[in-house]
Amino acid sequence: MANSALETTISKILEQTEKSVISNVESALNESLKTLDDSVPKLEQEYDKIIADGKKEADKIEKQIIGSADIEARNKQLIALEDAVSKVFSKALDQIANTDRSGDYSNLIKTMIEEATKILGTSEISVSTNAKDKDVVQSTLSQFSGAEMSSETIDCLGGVVVKSKDGAMRFDNTIDARIERLKPLIRKEIASKFGVGE
Amino acid sequence: MTAEGGVQYSKIAEIKGPLVIVDDVENAAFDELVEVETKDGERRLGKVLEVGNGKAIVQVFEGTTGLSIAGTNAKFVGKVMEMPVSREVLGRVFDGLGRPKDGLPDPIADKFIDINGEPMNPEQREYPKDFIQTGVSVIDGMITLVRGQKLPIFSGSGMSHNLLAAQIARQASVIGTQDDFAVVFAAIGVQYSEAEYFRRSLEESGALKRSVLFLNTADDPAIERIITPRVALTVAEYLAFELGMHVLVILTDMTNYAEALREISAAREEVPGRKGYPGYLYTDLSTIYERAGKLNGKKGSVTQVPILSMPSDDITHPIPDLTGYITEGQIVLGRDLFRQGVYPPVNILMSLSRLMKDGIGEGSTRADHGEISNQVYDAYSRAQEVRALAGIVGKAGLTEIDLKYMDVGDVFENEFLTQATDENRTIEETLGILWKIVSKLPKNEITKIKDKYVEQYYKEE
Repeated sequence: MANSALETTISKILEQTEKSVISNVESALNESLKTLDDSVPKLEQEYDKIIADGKKEADKIEKQIIGSADIEARNKQLIALEDAVSKVFSKALDQIANTDRSGDYSNLIKTMIEEATKILGTSEISVSTNAKDKDVVQSTLSQFSGAEMSSETIDCLGGVVVKSKDGAMRFDNTIDARIERLKPLIRKEIASKFGVGE
Repeated sequence: MTAEGGVQYSKIAEIKGPLVIVDDVENAAFDELVEVETKDGERRLGKVLEVGNGKAIVQVFEGTTGLSIAGTNAKFVGKVMEMPVSREVLGRVFDGLGRPKDGLPDPIADKFIDINGEPMNPEQREYPKDFIQTGVSVIDGMITLVRGQKLPIFSGSGMSHNLLAAQIARQASVIGTQDDFAVVFAAIGVQYSEAEYFRRSLEESGALKRSVLFLNTADDPAIERIITPRVALTVAEYLAFELGMHVLVILTDMTNYAEALREISAAREEVPGRKGYPGYLYTDLSTIYERAGKLNGKKGSVTQVPILSMPSDDITHPIPDLTGYITEGQIVLGRDLFRQGVYPPVNILMSLSRLMKDGIGEGSTRADHGEISNQVYDAYSRAQEVRALAGIVGKAGLTEIDLKYMDVGDVFENEFLTQATDENRTIEETLGILWKIVSKLPKNEITKIKDKYVEQYYKEE
């Protein structure tokens, strides 16, 4: 009799414990399902953020690579172009240096001296030139009263350097100086022949 | 270009500071370019400041150190200083006078333009109203920059304005259009390390190909700084109005420019104005700042962000003071925020973009932009008051709503203001953070935003 009562009690306790355990497990399951459900949007957000950040980073790196490559290519093109322009220049300068001094050249010298006297605002001038042009300049100077030939020769492709006799003013009208003044425009012309800057 | 000009004078009457006074000069013109040749054949550039009575006062950009009265010649070139411009200048680095500094040859010029620029006909100016995204939240969200605007950054010595300048240069873009965008960056009297940082920063980010850099470092002659912003703006105007690009010009540091101006003024023995700056400082600054804008019938725009460091952080100093009269607002960097380690340390309560209202909203950024910005401005202002109060009564003496405002202040500084130097935020992200800040407040505190936007974006925490 006593045994039966004890068994009943034990079985009741077992039943209650089982119920409580099952209920606990169920609530834990529900809770974890809820947590899982709640975390899905957060995870999705996180996922989207990681993807967006990754895309941003990829775009940044793409820009960097393309930018550097573009710059490098452009720089190489610039150097190649400059080489070509320099070659054209040096060839042109050679040709100018070897130009025949007869014919129209004396007219060019005359124009250069006229230009210089006009700019200096005086006809009391001293004219210097290179050894090659000395004769042409000397003969042209006879047309300019107040002008005299300087004893010093200068190193240039051609043309004249004109000074006022008091030495206060000087005008460089050599071919070298004229080329230097017009160099940016000449470079542009040459570059346009290579299809740049058109 | 003609063979006119080119007369060389050898009678130097006086050398005074950065000035050379040449005697017996005829036919020189105001602003004419002068090549000063030293005894050793070294050539320096200068320009005519004054002519008359057979004398010409020449300002030598590269300084007069080493020049002597005997043996120095001054050649008057017969033209004003010009900058050769073409599309090829993009991606190049020049010195403060516009000469290549990147070891590459001179760019093949499409045009030679007077660096003093042509004044914009006021009647032809178009009102600026298009948004520029800098990727810096505080600027895009609260002090929006608009194409054609001039918006200076007022900083102090040692603060992070150069980091901010480089970040803007790297990240700035125009959204919603396929138009080309370019950055012209002029560093005026900056340290060598800073100049290198700017160059490397643009190079490494790939932004150099759409940028032009003019670098005048601190060891370059001060007088060269007078020219640097002008050559930079000449290039910017060409890119904008001839090639139709949207150009952002960053000039840093304009204080060094004003100091160069003071040096010349002192050498000319002019009557000094405030703090020794010349009386015409305002007029002179306006000849730079006013070279920003948009023109009717032209596609491009020139937007200026001049940066100036305020001596002793004094906003009433003549340079920020006069700058503020000309420009359309200001971005002020705060010493307190800088000390807290906040980057960029923009003090929004002292900052303002006068043209912001025209460059934001529906069709530009987002319809709620203006209102959310106003609400955050208001909330941050209140947060500052609460912080001051907490300093007196302690946190325990604050009400619940006061504590929420304090929280708003912290989130504003830590999440909105604070940004990594390589973090490029879209306007959507920026507005998202602004809403996050506002969502810290209860709905009844939101008084500046329409209900429909509150419904759409407010997420109570």
